[in-house]
Amino acid sequence: MRIICPLCGERGAEEFVYHGDATVRRPHPDSSAETWNAYVHLRDNPAGRHSELWYHAAGCHAWLVVERDVRTHEIFAVTLAQDVALARRPVTA
Amino acid sequence: MVEIGLLSRSPLAAVLQPGHYGQPGQDGLVVQERTGLHIVNLAARRGQGGALAVAVQRSWGLELPTTPRRAGDGRLAFLWSGGAQWLAIAEGTGDLELSLKDRLGSLASLTDQSDGRSVLRLSGSRTRETLAKGLAIDLHPRAFTPGDTALTLAGHIGVQIWQLDDTPSYEIAVARGYAGSLIGWLLPAGEEFGITVLPPG
Ligand SMILES: [Zn+2]
Repeated sequence: MRIICPLCGERGAEEFVYHGDATVRRPHPDSSAETWNAYVHLRDNPAGRHSELWYHAAGCHAWLVVERDVRTHEIFAVTLAQDVALARRPVTA
Repeated sequence: MVEIGLLSRSPLAAVLQPGHYGQPGQDGLVVQERTGLHIVNLAARRGQGGALAVAVQRSWGLELPTTPRRAGDGRLAFLWSGGAQWLAIAEGTGDLELSLKDRLGSLASLTDQSDGRSVLRLSGSRTRETLAKGLAIDLHPRAFTPGDTALTLAGHIGVQIWQLDDTPSYEIAVARGYAGSLIGWLLPAGEEFGITVLPPG
């Protein structure tokens, strides 16, 4: 599998480290134990398109969100995790 | 008070002796350890990337690269080294860190890497074939040209490589502690083409 890093270009998977599901969102600190349990432990395991965190460990050290079909390894999009997080951040006045 | 004098010693002193290696009568790969380089890592402070580029332009007339490129020349170069990070590399006796701190200190965090990295210059007609044995990036002229740089693996070791000219010649920087291991991969890889190791310079 090859991943196109938005900063470095196309590289082999050996340069990256998989860091888990990119769809989970950290709950508010006051959330219930059940909510925290779900955040820490519970994961969907879709056979198909998924959103994952990958770290370009042997390259630019950027965290990436990779949209990938886990059955075929086809990659649809690679975005800097920083940009994904900034886009999610609520706009403050 | 006891005065302690520390001698600076290259990690390659024992493993990269000047001479000829491998295929007799051939010079496919020429290797030289670079000495006397001042190397400083720059990381732009949050939101200061634009101001940093302006300050570099104003101070040295160089455009800080926003893609994997090298700006400048042997006297002073800025190499893209990840998002909002650069390596400044200078030859000579001036204090690069001090000069950067004066002009950029409020815009970027600076870390002296002069003793933290080893830099090799690689040239010779078979340099690409040698590197292809351990670098998974495409160094063909249509994909990688003078001024291009890459953070990648060489022989499973993290390196930063940049191309200097079309002969082709390259420089490759590696964390000091891995320099010996990199040579342990490079020399066997180049043996079949004949290797000349130049004195450090
Ligand atoms: Zn990268």
